[in-house]
Amino acid sequence: MAHALTINNLRFSYLSYQERSNEPLFCDLSLSIEEGERVLLLAPFDMGKTTLAKIIGGVCPKYFPGTMTGSITLFGTDLSTVEPWQLLTEVGYVSQNPAEQFIATTVEEEIAFPLESLGLSRAEMRERIATVLEAWGLAHLGDANESELSGGERKRVLLAIQQALSPRLWLLDEPFDDLDPVWRVRLKETILAGGKTTLVLASRYLADFADLFDRVLLLDERRIVALPLRESLSRFSTLCGDDKPSPLLDQTIEDQRRTTLSAGALAVERKRRSTTSTPPFEMTVDSFALESGELVTLTGANGSGKSSFSRLLCGLDEPKRGVIAIDGKRQSTKELNRSVGYLFQNPDLQIFLPTVEEELSWSLRRRRELSSSEIAERVGFAADLFALDLGDTPTTMSYPKRKALQAAVYYLLDRPFYILDELDSALTYHSALSIMASLRQRGSGILLITHDRLFAAKVEGRAYTIEAGRLIER
Amino acid sequence: MNTSAFVAGNGWLYRFDPRAKILLMVLLCIFFFLPITLLGLFLSVLLVIAVGWRNTGTKNIKGVFLSIAPMLLFMLLFSPFNVRSGEPLWRIGAVTIITVEGALQALRLACRFIGITYVCTLLFATTVMGEIMLALRFWRLPYKAALVVTLSFTYIPFIAESFSQIAESHRLREAALEERKNYIQRLKDLVPTLTSVLVVALRSIPNLAMSLEMRGLGRSERRTSYRSLDSYTRLFTDFVISITIVTMLWLIFKA
Repeated sequence: MAHALTINNLRFSYLSYQERSNEPLFCDLSLSIEEGERVLLLAPFDMGKTTLAKIIGGVCPKYFPGTMTGSITLFGTDLSTVEPWQLLTEVGYVSQNPAEQFIATTVEEEIAFPLESLGLSRAEMRERIATVLEAWGLAHLGDANESELSGGERKRVLLAIQQALSPRLWLLDEPFDDLDPVWRVRLKETILAGGKTTLVLASRYLADFADLFDRVLLLDERRIVALPLRESLSRFSTLCGDDKPSPLLDQTIEDQRRTTLSAGALAVERKRRSTTSTPPFEMTVDSFALESGELVTLTGANGSGKSSFSRLLCGLDEPKRGVIAIDGKRQSTKELNRSVGYLFQNPDLQIFLPTVEEELSWSLRRRRELSSSEIAERVGFAADLFALDLGDTPTTMSYPKRKALQAAVYYLLDRPFYILDELDSALTYHSALSIMASLRQRGSGILLITHDRLFAAKVEGRAYTIEAGRLIER
Repeated sequence: MNTSAFVAGNGWLYRFDPRAKILLMVLLCIFFFLPITLLGLFLSVLLVIAVGWRNTGTKNIKGVFLSIAPMLLFMLLFSPFNVRSGEPLWRIGAVTIITVEGALQALRLACRFIGITYVCTLLFATTVMGEIMLALRFWRLPYKAALVVTLSFTYIPFIAESFSQIAESHRLREAALEERKNYIQRLKDLVPTLTSVLVVALRSIPNLAMSLEMRGLGRSERRTSYRSLDSYTRLFTDFVISITIVTMLWLIFKA
């Protein structure tokens, strides 16, 4: 069987913008995948998985500067001799963060863009686009803009592009993230039916999809290692820290405050600005409650309204009707802003200052009752708790570190309630559970939004789900 | 990483041929600089806003105005001082601060600015990006230049949306016991917000370049187009309407 992808002795380190040089992400990394093979490459977060995908796609170090040595051959072609656009039918890349790949203003145009690059006829494009829109449940969203899609819908658009193009190598970075169980199964079926060479990069092992792969590899100490599956998984669990006991188990809550956040008879309506062909999104909440120190999970299909509901709870949006109260007292949006901490899925929208120290002290410095020494003490404590270096620059920190910083900022705000939106999407289970434990330490109630049933199962507590536009307690 | 300026609707502006819409946009922009009466300029701008409101709704019209309001304020505050000659309008002692001519000049500038803003945004609010691309190519703009124009116009709402998301994040980070903020504090708070917006925008540049090339931009094949303008069957009529509208306005309001 011919080789689809061969990597020999790859070394790569990102260009450093500081005095000290960056550590190489890979050292003499080698990998060989045969045509038609389906390979799962497990890598803990922040170990260069996405970088490796971008290198194989031919866009790194071109657009993400760094020093690279070694050789990569894709279907017999030396990758250093071709441009990314020449690889359009050779390799299709689905990013971990779908938003970064969108270039057009509607879903249909997004799928059409690479087909137009191939010079396909309009009739053929129409046929392919209609097929993949139907296959990925996007037929009603053809005119919608990316900004109006949920995370899962964005991921499905990228997978629809992949299917419409049908490249020889499917390069999928965390493809199951953001997808609800129905679409995860659909992805598995699509990969199996397609018969294409597939490299899935993942930072979590999903046992449900074990039979999908011919081989499971591990990125360990900057190299790819092939071990028997059981050993691979055991080593991977150690690397991720997931073999440690959950910090939520037997946790002692310091502050025994008793407060309840509740919502009743809520109605949410959201109109899509870019299309009139779909009815407005609607959701109702008959009853919801979250108490101090409580851990509650919220699950639901892609686009079911989890984020819309969260925005109401923290006062970013106003409900069409209904009441949100704390201890029975109706809350204004401004009061909710200051009582319910909402950790966005994307931490970059919530951190904005040059150093970790400034970021952590930003809110505290605006409180006149706190002295400088008190602020420094609190900031230092939070930095230790979340393993942060006060002198670090957030924009150059790794994603898990930025996520930890985002959590530390909210920890210092000491809100009675927190909403954690897809906290686990780019963290190991252990890291995510540790953040939850720290936020809960002082008695805050936590609402965790997740797609991952395994992660939800690690969080003991009540569970809500959204089905057919209605929030229900399971 | 992009946000569309398009607002779904079915008013007459949506049915107007995009090729003629571009012509109308250019002609109106030229018209605003022709020697017309201030009242005529004001009424023409009002007409553009009314058409926009009828087609795209109050929210869009209000949003556009709010986005230019700070610049408009600066314009109205500072441009009257540039004209020193003419009848004094405001004097302090023997020093003339503002003249009637200066005030009228400021009003004219503001009207032009509002008019051009609404004319351009209405094109993008009532036409999907793929059709704007085709219309620009009809006017002999090369594909890559048309792509740059359309991407630029998706970048503006993208940055505006990033700004609002980051501003929301700031709201959520306010301390529970924080005192009421004065205007200086509010202005100071703008600095980190704008910095974050800049960081988000800069970060998106390599991603955009990556995505364009991974989607085949630069290939040697002749690029085809998924969209077509075939559904617009009244190109000639719409051209005539475009020219007639601007000619009529010129005849009525010329100075």
